[in-house]
This record gives sequence, C-alpha cells and structure tokens, in this order.
Amino acid sequence: MQRTADGYAPIRDYALIGDGRTAALVAKDGSVDWLCLPNVDSASVFARILDAGRGGSFQLEPSVPYKSSRRYLPGSNVLETTFETADGSVRLTDAMNLQHGDHLSPLRELCRKVEGLGGAVPMRWRLEPRFDYGRGGARFSRRGGHWVAEHRSDAVALGAWDAGEPTLEGDDALAGEFRLEQGGSAMLSLASAHEQPLVLPGRDDAELRLEHTIEFWPKWSSRCGYAGSWREAVLRSALVLKLLVFAPSGAIVAAPTASLPEWMGGGRNWDYRFTWLRDASWALDALIQLGLDDEAHAFFWWLMHASRLTQPRLQILYRIDGNSRAKEFEVPELLGYRGSSPVRIGNGAADQVQLDVYGAVFESIWLYAQHVGHLDGETGKEVAKIADYVSEHWRDRDSGIWEVRSETTHFTQSKALCWVALDRACLLAERELIPDRSQSWRTEADAIKAFVAAEGWSEEKNSYVRAPDLQEIDASLLTLAILSYEHPLNDRLQGTIDAVRRELQEGPFVYRYRGEDGVQGEEGAFLTCSFWLVDALARQGKLDEARSLMDELVETANDVGLYSEEIDPSSGEFLGNFPQGLTHLALINAAISIADASSEREAA
Amino acid sequence: MTIWGALAGGAVGTVVLTSGLRIAQAAGYTRMDIPLLLGTIFTDNRSRASLIGYVIHFVNGLLFALVYYAIFRAVGHAGWVFGAILGVVHAAFAGGILVTVLLPVVHPRMGTLWSDSEETPILEPPGFLLVNYGRRTAIGTLIGHVAYGAIVGGFAAHLH
Repeated sequence: MQRTADGYAPIRDYALIGDGRTAALVAKDGSVDWLCLPNVDSASVFARILDAGRGGSFQLEPSVPYKSSRRYLPGSNVLETTFETADGSVRLTDAMNLQHGDHLSPLRELCRKVEGLGGAVPMRWRLEPRFDYGRGGARFSRRGGHWVAEHRSDAVALGAWDAGEPTLEGDDALAGEFRLEQGGSAMLSLASAHEQPLVLPGRDDAELRLEHTIEFWPKWSSRCGYAGSWREAVLRSALVLKLLVFAPSGAIVAAPTASLPEWMGGGRNWDYRFTWLRDASWALDALIQLGLDDEAHAFFWWLMHASRLTQPRLQILYRIDGNSRAKEFEVPELLGYRGSSPVRIGNGAADQVQLDVYGAVFESIWLYAQHVGHLDGETGKEVAKIADYVSEHWRDRDSGIWEVRSETTHFTQSKALCWVALDRACLLAERELIPDRSQSWRTEADAIKAFVAAEGWSEEKNSYVRAPDLQEIDASLLTLAILSYEHPLNDRLQGTIDAVRRELQEGPFVYRYRGEDGVQGEEGAFLTCSFWLVDALARQGKLDEARSLMDELVETANDVGLYSEEIDPSSGEFLGNFPQGLTHLALINAAISIADASSEREAA
Repeated sequence: MTIWGALAGGAVGTVVLTSGLRIAQAAGYTRMDIPLLLGTIFTDNRSRASLIGYVIHFVNGLLFALVYYAIFRAVGHAGWVFGAILGVVHAAFAGGILVTVLLPVVHPRMGTLWSDSEETPILEPPGFLLVNYGRRTAIGTLIGHVAYGAIVGGFAAHLH
C-alpha cells in the first residue's frame, strides 16, 4: 500500500470494523485512521484520514519493508491483515469487541492481536489519540499498569501485552517495538470510557471478548437467507449494513465517516453519520428480503418513534439517538482528506424540504406491513395523517433527492415519490391497516400523475427530466421503475432508462446528473445509481444486460468487498464517505431483483 | 394533613402530569411517552402498551403520593409550595435516574449505552435528562412533576 507523500492512504485501502455503537477504519498498513468514541456520531479520537498530521491514529506494522494482504474472517466483521516480510510473516486481527455476558467490560474496546506465522518479525506501534476532531489533544498518565489518555469526560486506556515497553513520545503519543517469532502473540487493547470510570482490560478478558466476537459474526451471518448469485457480495453488504446499525436505537447511519470528499480537493465534503429517512425504504426492503427480521423490526420502531416530534411532517434526516437537530459546522483545525477542505461536521441539509422522503417512507411501511401482516392502531393513525400531509403538500417546491443547495424547484422524482406515498397509503387502507381516506388520496395521486406527465416529460429527450425548469436527465428517475411508479416496460420509463444510459453512463458507472446544484466543484459517478440501473434493467427483463453490469460493478469493490459513495470512472479511485450504506443497499436490492426476475422467467 | 388527601392528590396529579405530557407530545415539544415506555416492558403492540402503561403510571403516581405523604409527616408540614419543591426533586429523580438509568436496565425492549451488534432493541434509550426524546423534554418533565407535587401537597394539606 502506498500513502501519498503527505501521509494519506487511498480510500479504497480501508476496511471497516465495528460493534454496533461505533466503527473504525483500518488501512492496509495496519493504521486505524478513523474512530469516534463513544458512538459513531461522537467526536473523533482518530482522524488521520481527515488530517494526516494532527488527526490522530493507532499505527501497527512491521518495522521492516513488507507486503500486506487482508480479508474479513468468513461471514464476519473481524479483519485479518497478513504482513509478509523478508524476516517472516505475522497476522494482525482487528476487531471492535462485543460485550461478553454480564462480565464488566469497557464501554468500547478496540482489540488488536498479532500472531507470528513464521520467522521473526520486528514490529512497531504508535498510539496518538487526538480527542474532539484533533482539537482536544491528549495527555497520557499511567494507572494500574495501563497508559491512560484523557480529555474532558472522555478517556482511553491502552493495555499492551508482549508488545514491547510503551514509551511516551512527547506527552501526547505512546509507542512501542517488539519482535514476534513464529507461534508467539502480542495483544493491544484500547478501552474507552465516557462520563464514567474506565474499565481497565486484562489480557485474558480481552482475549475472551475477542473470541466471543469472532464466534458471534458467522452466527449472525447464517441468518442471512440470500442464496442467489453474488452471494459473497450480498453477504458482505449485509455485514456492512449491520455495522451501520446503531444498536442502542436501531437507527442506520448513511456512512460511518464525515467529510470524505466527493471530488479530490473539492468542497463537497459532508457528514453522513445520520439516518436519512430516504434510505429507509431501501434498508427495510433489503433487511426483510434477507430474512433479517429483528433488524427490520427495530428499524421500523425507530422510524416511527424518531419522526414523532415532527409528524405529520417528516424531516429528511435524524440523529441516531433520535434528536432532530444536526447543526452543521466546519472544523478549520483539520486540513481535510488530501487537502479537501472544509471539514464539515453536522449536516445542514437537515432543514431542507425533500418530498421524495414520503415515498420512501411509505414504501417501507407498506413492505413492513405486508411482511408482518399488521400495523397497530396508533401507528395506523399516524401513517394516515402523514398521507394527508402529502396530499396537501405535494405541490410544494423542494430540494429533491440529491439535496441540492441551489433554488428549490418542482423535481419530477419528488412528485413521483409523492405518488408512491399516496398509492401505498391507499393499499394500506384497502387492507384496513390504516384509517381509510383513500378516495381523497387517490384523487391527489391522479393529480400528481397528470402533473408529472405534463410537466416532467420531455418529448425532445424522450425521457422524464429533472424538473419542468431543468430539462436534464437525472439518474434518480430510475427509482420510478424500481418503485413501480409505472410498469418498467412502459414507453416513457423505457425512454428514461435509455436516456440515463445515453447521457449519464460512463462504462459501468452512472453519474447523478450533469447540471447545476448550487455547490462548487465536480464529483464522481454515483455508485448507487449504477446499481439502480442494474435493478431497473432486471425489472425490464433485460437479464443479460443486468447480469453483465452487475458483474462489472461487483468487481469494482475494494479488496474486502466495500464501496464508497462515488467513484472516479477514469482512475477507479473511491470518493466520498466510506463505506456508503446506500451503495451496499442498492447492491443487495439489485441482486435480489435479478434473482426474482430470473425465477419469474424460469416459472414462465 | 391526611393520607387520603395525599392519595387523592396523587390521582389528580398523575392525570394532570400524564395529560400535560400528552399535550406536549401533540404540540411537537417531545417524544416522551411514559405510558408507551412503561407498557412496552410487557408487549410490543403499541396500542396495548399504551393502555398497560397508563395503568402502571397511575399506580406509580399513587405510590409516589405515599412517599410524599411520608416526607410531609416526617417534616411535619404539607402544602402547595412544599409539594412543588418536592416535585423538583421528583423530576430530577425521574429524568436523571429513574427513566434514564434504571428503566433501560430493566426494560427488555429498550437499548442502553452498552447495546451492541448482538442486540436489536426496538426503543431508543432516553439519554441524559431525556434529551433523546426532544430537547424540551426535560422542561416538560420538570413542569409536570412540579404540578404533580403541588397538587399532592395541596390536597394532603387541605383535604380531610
């Protein structure tokens, strides 16, 4: 792996480990370059990925030249990196440990175990915690055989066993060196605390928790019921999704990182550590189809509970703890990934109006209700009120699915998804799952269809367009085929899919749009849109094309099967927050659509 | 000062507190739903949970009125103002410990700070001073409990 001269690893060279509360990015050279504590949306302790100088990291690698390769343990979110050197080889196992029974465990624990596979390999490690996005520094002290670094109400403690004598470098970094021979092992455990005393880990306890964590993940994976093509990619995507679930509340973050740029050196750097309701439909669809009922159930409860403060109006994103505020601010102290500034924390899009959210949410409620067969009375009443709100507000201007920061307008996809919302509301009412006001909902749904047909269609392009005043092609219009706005073989949808391929596709990759969006700078192709295209083709029955495109896209994952939000089609470089939940959800749903379409064809 | 007065105050105070929080919910101030939180200890059906939760909360209100009465007897004084002061302490206990620390530990469907990937709770934990249920939840809880305390104190002092 090659870092840039100023110390940045390619986004593609990271892997994710996590425990359902927070997640860490581990580079191919064994450096943990991103970790927020105690939760995924808390301030970072390691943010080398956003500032190689002052971000903070936990490095662990051979001190002689090496080649590294890595994999996740089968069906697991435990990462294994093998370092080959001229002197021998070692294996590094990285995990965020899970609790083990009722034993007193650290609040969070990053566990790093190194085992000698052959020869004798000199190793080195360096721990540089930098609390509060690099602004808080860290001061070490020694307690009970552990080194402790603190900042306000946060603290981390390092337990190091057979990993050399920790030496203080300055007063804010700890380093050690050791030699590992075949059959030997060393362990480093970083335990954290927040507003509570530290639980200092012992080696045996840390080993036990690591073993328990290694045993848990394959058991969880065995619940994933998908048996079709690309099973490995689908399972890896499900495992990523599981890491994005914030276990205490059931919310799902869009990605575990903030401010990784959508174009190198550009300003499109956003914080994705929030739950977007838009992703709800894709997430619930995937969870239900994969047989992950507990997660689907938890997420549905979160969805209905989190949105109660604003119902019947829905906010586009919520914090994972249910709080609706997501104030955006910049952190000028961090330089940004390879100089891509500003680093933004929080998300200003939270206050936008995005009407497509209602379609996504109603689709998810419909899928969930079909799956479990009922909705309780209270939920039903709330759902009907949201449908009434859609009836009254679908004529409003909005910022659309892509959260443009230019002027609001009448986005075609937003209107079509309002139709999806009212259509699903009528279906729910038909089944007596919600109070029946379907007559007025159907009337408004018909009015939406008439509007989209008249204002959102371009004869010249033979395609639906972004908006009446934006006569451009938009890849989000592929969702009209996926969410059954019209039959995928309908002439207009066929024309739209063809137009997306003609104007937005570059190789296997699809751009979101080409026009203005109120933000300076370029961006890469949007991987979710590429998987949407696969999904739409499958629904059209163009199975050979869908399979071929899917093969190409699956090949573009990194070495451990992860995807970012965007990709530079010319270089294959990953861009944007990583790994991106929506991309993995779109992959799962595309694979399932191909499997369904194949089954239908065989049955016919 | 009578125990029956305190109990009557507890009944009226609980109705006022519960209704007040319900109004705050409807007005978009909070997602704090005490009946739902208590009822979901026993069922994940929201309608049934709310019904069970109302009953539990009402009984809790009567039990707390007895605690208030014991304090009134120990101090030798009861009244609206003293009850309201106890209500502040009650709110701090409910918002700072009872619902935020103790409830998630005993609640089979609620997450805690320690919930990890092995668990799939369906109710988010309330967070310090219930802030996860809306930033104004703590203020609503304080006002509700002060009203409850004042009613229990007033009823205990003046009813015979």
